[in-house]
Amino acid sequence: MEPFRIIDCALLQKMSGLPAAINLREMRERISSCSRNVLYHHFCETPLKPTFDYPDYRNDLAIWAKQRLGDDILAERLGIIDPYSFSSIDDLRKMVLEIFDERLNEVEVVPSSSKGYEFYFMETTIIIFDTGNKINHPDELSASIRNMTNSSIYFHVLDAKRRSIKGIDDFSTWLQTSEGNWDHYISAIQSIDVMFFTLGEIKNELVRLLDAARGSFVSEKRQ
Amino acid sequence: MTQALEAYEGIVGTPVIRQLRMLGEKLKGIQVTHVNSTSEGGGVAEILFWMIPLMRELGIDAHWKVIRGSDDFFPVTKSIHNGLQGTHTFISHKDWETYEKVNAENFQDLKDILQESDVVIIHDPQPAFLLKLCEKRRGKWIWRAHIDISRPSRRIWVQFRSYVEGYDSSIFSMFQFAQPLPHPQYIITPSIDPLSPKNIDLNESELESVRQQFKLDSGRPLLVQISRYDRFKDPVGVIEAYRMVRKILPVQLVLAGGGAADDPEGKRVFDEVMHAANNDPDIHVLLLPSDAHKTINALQRLADIIIQKSIKEGFGLTVTEGLWKGKPVIGGDVGGIQLQVINHHTGFLINTPEGAAHRIRFLLHHRNIMQQMGNTAREFVRGNFLLTRNIREYLTLILSLYRGETKGRIEV
Repeated sequence: MEPFRIIDCALLQKMSGLPAAINLREMRERISSCSRNVLYHHFCETPLKPTFDYPDYRNDLAIWAKQRLGDDILAERLGIIDPYSFSSIDDLRKMVLEIFDERLNEVEVVPSSSKGYEFYFMETTIIIFDTGNKINHPDELSASIRNMTNSSIYFHVLDAKRRSIKGIDDFSTWLQTSEGNWDHYISAIQSIDVMFFTLGEIKNELVRLLDAARGSFVSEKRQ
Repeated sequence: MTQALEAYEGIVGTPVIRQLRMLGEKLKGIQVTHVNSTSEGGGVAEILFWMIPLMRELGIDAHWKVIRGSDDFFPVTKSIHNGLQGTHTFISHKDWETYEKVNAENFQDLKDILQESDVVIIHDPQPAFLLKLCEKRRGKWIWRAHIDISRPSRRIWVQFRSYVEGYDSSIFSMFQFAQPLPHPQYIITPSIDPLSPKNIDLNESELESVRQQFKLDSGRPLLVQISRYDRFKDPVGVIEAYRMVRKILPVQLVLAGGGAADDPEGKRVFDEVMHAANNDPDIHVLLLPSDAHKTINALQRLADIIIQKSIKEGFGLTVTEGLWKGKPVIGGDVGGIQLQVINHHTGFLINTPEGAAHRIRFLLHHRNIMQQMGNTAREFVRGNFLLTRNIREYLTLILSLYRGETKGRIEV
């Protein structure tokens, strides 16, 4: 069985060079032309940034729409977007632009933020490094996850969905390709709705569900 | 005395420390030199005080150099500082010459180390001109702006920009603070050291001793603002808020701060505060020496509520310190305070003395909410604003610059 290599990453935020947007029309214009990295950052990397753990929504555009534009309808439409459900960032972009166009058609006055609360377009540099640690057997998964950093969780669970053709996490990919039947672990991992958890919570959930899956599997075998 | 990295394990967890060691391993032996303008007083010196030993422990050959200034240098740099933060100040041609001349004098002393360093990090405006003087540099140069230059005085920015646009990259504490520059601009929020004398846990007798030293009444609520005597911190506005609350509740107020060596304006503001306090025995205006870290720590722990009523703020490390001590913070809705004070979760953002008074009264009448906010505040700092996160981001930046890549994904 090929061991699982534990990877870690460190993220650094960087200004994208795009001018800040003060209203929905400017936001639409910038989103239509920004780089894929910028869009990815604002939809997928929010959990790694030093922001408060429990914003209403998990992507920066929805948070800005709610907090700075005061447009709850737009925030709700943006907030429910699952960026990992799109086959490409450009498909995600199309959906976001459609939502903006729909909203611009509905409103009489273009929603605007106050001065000082503009939306700043960012991107990131991510350093990815092999920790040198390995998981040799699926039964060790839970104990190993317990000792991982939140950024390892980000890499193997969230970032993996972008890297994997099937859009799944690294743990599931490893289990699927490992010798033996590990469906009980795969089901446990994939039952987590990652959109509604912080990285620390995802880690705790993984540990809890994997332990429970192992317990049930062992007792079923005994019976 | 700074702590070894292991000492932080109990606070941030083993995986975080292990991650730092792995990043440090990739940078082993490279020479990194930080330059600033004061060795004590102010947030920058405090950050460098812990960062240098920890970088060394991680295998980096880290150095910290402080430039020296003549009597006419610091008033000029204070004007540059104020101008970059948006105050309309006049800087004459002669003042700019003084600025450049003092940088040139310092360059003679620092020349060797600046030329040979792999990475040079220049903090704030005071030593920024060193880059132009160091023509034979071989390393990457980073300008670290700890201040908010989002709306600078244009004339001052036009001149100052010519000093910093040649850097390889710059770092700002918040993206709102940046100005367009022709190089990558990174965002690294500052942090606090939980084991420094200013933040370490204190026992009851240490707290009691400070309470007695300043004759604070343990039976009445205490409001504390810790900051330099600077108009941007609005200490007089805090006194106004106190007076509004005092009509209803028997609160006490402590305004405490020191004067940093590079802040000649402090004395004037201190006198204004004394005048506004008007000998009220429940307003304690304290001018503390720069090494009174444990006293500040104790005052923050004795407080019921921490105030930071700034009207302009860089990041606001005193807010971070207050939150770390499990206190709700009532802070001005500006700068880095917005990143730390989350309404109804870690405290309240306010804009006026009236707003501050309103929130102080609300919290003092709802002790259970105050307690809950304090707990949330401490965990929020643990996850986001401790030095381990800060040093990880510096290592990430150095690695990306050192590898000559400034964007995207870098596998090391």
